[in-house]
Parts: sequence; structure tokens; C-alpha cells
Amino acid sequence: MDIKRYTKMAYDDFEDMVFGHCPNPLSTGFDLEIGAGYTSAEVNYAPRPSSGKSKETLVAEYEKITTDVLQRMVQVGFPSVVLETEHVLPMTMNPEWGAEISHAQKAIMEEYYDEYGIKCALRTTLADIRGGRETLDLRGDHYDILMESFDQVASSGSDMLSIESLGGKGAFDNAILHNDIPGILFSIGILGTLDVEYLWSEISSIAKKHNVIAAGDTDCSQANTAMFIAGGLLDRKLAHTMAIVARAISAPRSLAAYEAGAVGPGKDCGYENTIIKAIAGVPISQEGKASTCAHSDVMGNLVMQCCDLWSNESVEYHGEFGGTSVQCWGETLSYDCSMLNTAIEAGYTKVFRDVLMASDRYRDPQSFILAFDNAYRIGEAIVKDGDDIYLRSKNAAIKACELVERGSRGQLELSRFEKASLTKAIKALHSMTDEKDAFIDEQMEIFKASMPEFRPENYGY
Amino acid sequence: MIDINPQRTLVRYNVRIEQEMTPEEVAEGLFPADEAIREVARAVFNGDEDEVVESLKNAIDKGKDPLSLINNALMVGMEVVSTLYDDNMLYLPDVIISAQAMIEGIEFCKEQSGEEHEYKGKIISYVVEGDIHDIGKKIVTVLLRAKGYEVIDLGKDVPVEEVISAVKREKPIMVTGTALMTTTMSAFSDVNSRLLDSDINVPVVCGGGAVNQDFVSQYDLGLYCEEAADVPKIADAILKGFDIESLRKEFHKH
Repeated sequence: MDIKRYTKMAYDDFEDMVFGHCPNPLSTGFDLEIGAGYTSAEVNYAPRPSSGKSKETLVAEYEKITTDVLQRMVQVGFPSVVLETEHVLPMTMNPEWGAEISHAQKAIMEEYYDEYGIKCALRTTLADIRGGRETLDLRGDHYDILMESFDQVASSGSDMLSIESLGGKGAFDNAILHNDIPGILFSIGILGTLDVEYLWSEISSIAKKHNVIAAGDTDCSQANTAMFIAGGLLDRKLAHTMAIVARAISAPRSLAAYEAGAVGPGKDCGYENTIIKAIAGVPISQEGKASTCAHSDVMGNLVMQCCDLWSNESVEYHGEFGGTSVQCWGETLSYDCSMLNTAIEAGYTKVFRDVLMASDRYRDPQSFILAFDNAYRIGEAIVKDGDDIYLRSKNAAIKACELVERGSRGQLELSRFEKASLTKAIKALHSMTDEKDAFIDEQMEIFKASMPEFRPENYGY
Repeated sequence: MIDINPQRTLVRYNVRIEQEMTPEEVAEGLFPADEAIREVARAVFNGDEDEVVESLKNAIDKGKDPLSLINNALMVGMEVVSTLYDDNMLYLPDVIISAQAMIEGIEFCKEQSGEEHEYKGKIISYVVEGDIHDIGKKIVTVLLRAKGYEVIDLGKDVPVEEVISAVKREKPIMVTGTALMTTTMSAFSDVNSRLLDSDINVPVVCGGGAVNQDFVSQYDLGLYCEEAADVPKIADAILKGFDIESLRKEFHKH
């Protein structure tokens, strides 16, 4: 396995980080460039449940979706667009289904490109089908089907490959419900990272073989779970100062995909992407105010600050007053991108970025640590011990807590509960060992004893 | 980089409504007066399993009946936790940690007594077929147990047939199912049809990522639940005699 660790930052200064530009831009699909000076909408959608009856009904559904999006882009005059097809389970479980859908979508995109010259590309995000009812089996038969599915979509028209991988998820769920900081760090920073490395070494090879883009992973299954449970300001499910620990550790975890050969753009729901962009210089997709069709968050404008693609997360395909849902959300996203691109053209990129960031900077501890200056500082903490997957995760968590603590002495208001939770988290982090192997041994024993379904062999142990 | 004073663009409502007293201070005022019972209730509140067992031993040594301590001490402590959670003074992990300490205490009391504890009612929980995301089910299961219900946890990725068999065998007061994805939640429809075919009118409480009220309302037995904390309240309402229609009136929020 060829893993290239990041031990320095892609940018010398956080002030250089902006939307629409990145140090390592890429070209893909039909004339589309990402991170090369403009932003594009990335439209994401889910088929209606009724369309899942057969391969034929699903293919027809995606043909309608693709045509609808491209038709609306052309009708309103937008120059570029990315379509993201997130597989539902049968599409990955039956590799030929996913392949046929990719082929059908790409054929329609080619027609629009030929006729109108619209720059476009297709990202396919496979479902992490590695499951098992009693025990999660990450490296068994389903892994082979998953890779076969990647191979088939890559050979059938997909331009970019992605996944939201599940490594460490079971351990994380237990840890987050018990405010177990070492458990959170173990599940995301160690188990998640090891699984991402394992997956992406092979996905990157498949992408290379078919001359497509190995795009990236996201810690949706863990850090976004924490964000989702934490909820809004009035929810009492999880302290938002605890959710920042999961988010900070998600950055080195998702970074592992790039260390194993991915090149971006990072997936939309990876809120950790600003940290990753600071470290790896790869283009990123993000979602925020235009993804309220899928979920709420507390950083709707801020997370747009350094995006290269701007996404709506996911919307079920159905009718709205303004057209189909994908047409409505595609148009909304594209108007947002038009605004960003106008700021770039007018020379106001940094001013616009700062307004986006400042509007949500103090909304929540989660947005505070992801403001680009603070995200950059977390990145620095990660690369400081970039070769050690444990220490870099621990550094990231400690830095996030320090930033919030310092921020709370200024404009960042915290409730008493958030402060108490932050104090507990800092105490727990500082009481942890600096030795990776000792930490892993200890946590392996804890999870083997407390979770009968936990399988160290999923992670090479 | 610009920086602003957010006072005119943002209200942190959680900070604004914060209460003066700490949860520990409020709890002290709610624990029962009897010192032996109070010690057990406080141990549950603290979520310390060892402390719970130790306090139960002390109470039994002082002549308390082990089985009666379940309802009169352990559940009382948990009630304080639930009250403070409902009053926005505690977080979900606090409830879960306390609930597990309480469940440990119940097991200890049952061992000491040698008799069976009578639960408020029996409930089946599961995650739909094709879905392995079970954090929502875990939360619901713990909250129901914390309120004194016996939960038959079928696990994740559960085939419809298995749910139907369990309902016929266990005769629960309700079923709770969770689904994350739009493609898997159609399994609720199958459960609904199969139960109706067997003349079983048990409410099927549905929740999870992609599930919404409109979808669940399509099914005769379906009851949508947005908040995990509402599930025990639904169970309490069923014990009071609420039928599906009245449950929907009470708990459907949209």
C-alpha cells in the first residue's frame, strides 16, 4: 500500500484560501475544471422509492433526472454543472445496475455538451454495502462486490468516484452516546483512517486504470452523525462542544483518502473539507444553505467560504411548483455559484469569502472551528505529527477545543453546558497517552469487551 | 480577514434561556427524602453503575425489599433524570448513561429477589431490512427501558417476516422501527400489511433519516415520531388507551 502522508500545509497562509481556486485543480468530464478559477453547482438527488422496482425503472428515473437538470441549466444560462449520483443499495450490490445508470446519464450529458457546450461531469458515490447483520464485515465478500461496482461505473461513464465509508461506525455510535472521548478518537482517528486507507488504495488503482478521478471520502457516518445528533441551539441530545471533537478528528481520517491516491474534489457532506483543502490543496465540494432540503446545520453560509463545487446534499426526485426538485435545487445552486463567480471576476473574492464566513462564525462552536482561519490552524496541528495517525487526531481535537475555549473569551458565546462539556473534553484529551500503540491496544481491549460485534480484523488487527 | 461583532446578526437562544441553577442543584431538590432511597436515586442520576449497586446493597441491608427498590428507588432516580432532560437541563448522553446504570440496578435487584419484575409493557424495536444504521434504534431502546418498558430488540437489517413472527410471539403494546434511507423505508408498508392481514392492530412507530410524517401516515398502523424522546410518551399514551387516531392527533406535529 503506497501511502503518502501530509506533513506540511498546501498554503503558506490561511488568507490565501478562497472559493473557486485551489493549488491542485483538476479537469474532468466534458471540459470541466474544478478549483481552476470558478465554482460549479453539484446537483445531488435520490430516486423515488417507487422507482426501485427494477433495474429498468431505476435507469428511466435517472435518465429523467439527468435530462431535467441539464435542460434547466441550459434554459437559465449556466455554464457548468456536476451531477452526483449517490447509489441506493441495489445499484452497488448489482454492479451492472450502477454501470448501466452511469452509461445512461453520461450519454445524455454528452448530448447536451455536443449541442450547447455546457461543461459537465458525473460523480458517482457508491453505497458502502459492506455490512452484516450481526457483525460488520468490512473486508469480506461485499468488499469484492463494492470494488467490482467501482470498476464497472468507472468503465461506464462516471468521471469521479466517491464513497461515504463506514469504518469505525459501530464503535463511534457507542462512544458518542457515552461522551467517550478516547472512544471517539479511536473510532474515527484510528479505525476510520485505517479503513479509508485500505479502501482508497484500491479505488485509486481502479480510477487510474480507467483514467477517471478518485475523488474522495467523507466522515458522514461519524462526524455528521455527531452534528445531526447535536442538532440546533435548543436541542439537548449532544453538546455542540462535543461534536467539534468528532469534526476535528474527521479531517485526518478523510485526509487518508488523499494519502492513498485520491485527488479530489472532496465530497459535499465532508464539513471537514476546509481543513483538508488547507493541508492537501485539493478542490472540495461543500453543502450548506442550499442543502436544507436534506438537513439543517449551523453554518449555511460559512461552509461556502472555500468551496469549488456547491451542492444541495440530496433531494428526492419529485415535482415542485417551479419544476422538478432537481431543477429547482440545481437552479438555486447555480445562482449561488454565479454570485461566487461574479465576485471572482470583479476581484472581490476575499471580501465575499469573509462575509460568508463572518455571517456564521459565531453561530456555533462547530462553525467557529471551521472558519477558514481556524480550520487552517487545525490543519497545522494535524501535519505537525502527520506521520502518526493517532497523534495527529489527538492534536486536531485538542486544537479545536483550544480554539473554542479561546473564542469563548471573545465573541463566541457558549452556554454553561457547552462550557462544562468542553472542559470535560479537554481534560480527557490531555489525560490520554502520547503512544499510538499503547492507545490502540487499550481501546481494542475496551471495545472487544464492550461490543461483542466488534472485529479488529476489519482493520488489519 | 474581517471580523464582526455578531450582536446584530445572531441570537444564541440557548445561552439566553439558560437557567440559573445547575442540574445537580435541581436534582437534589427532587430526590426522595428517605436516605436509603435517596442514595440509590442519586447514584442513578450520577450514572455510576458501581455506586448504584453499592447503594442498593445498603438499602437492602436496611430492610428494603429488593424488588420494590426497582420502582421505588431506581425508577424514581431515572424520573429525575427524565424530568431534567425534558426541562432542557441534561443532554441525551446523560440520560443514556443513567439508564444503563439503572438497568444494571434492575438486574441486581432481580438477582437479589429471585422473583420477576413486572414491566409497564412490552415493546419490539428494530431497524428495517437492508439498513445497518442503528444509532436511532439504540437511543429509542435505552429511553424506553429507562421508562420501565421491556424492549425486545430485534437488531438491525431485520426481515419483515421476523418482525411479524416476533409480534405474534411477544404480543407487544407497540413496535418501533427506524430507517435511514428512502429505499429501505418501504419495508414499513410490508409490516403494516402483514400485521393487518393477521388482524393485529398494534401501532408501528416509525422514525429515522428519510422518514417523514406524510409517508408514515399512508399506513393504517403507522405513527410518525420525529424525536426519540417522544417514544416513551407514546408508549405511556397507549397504556392510557389511546388508539392510532388519537395518537396521531397527539404526536403528529406537522
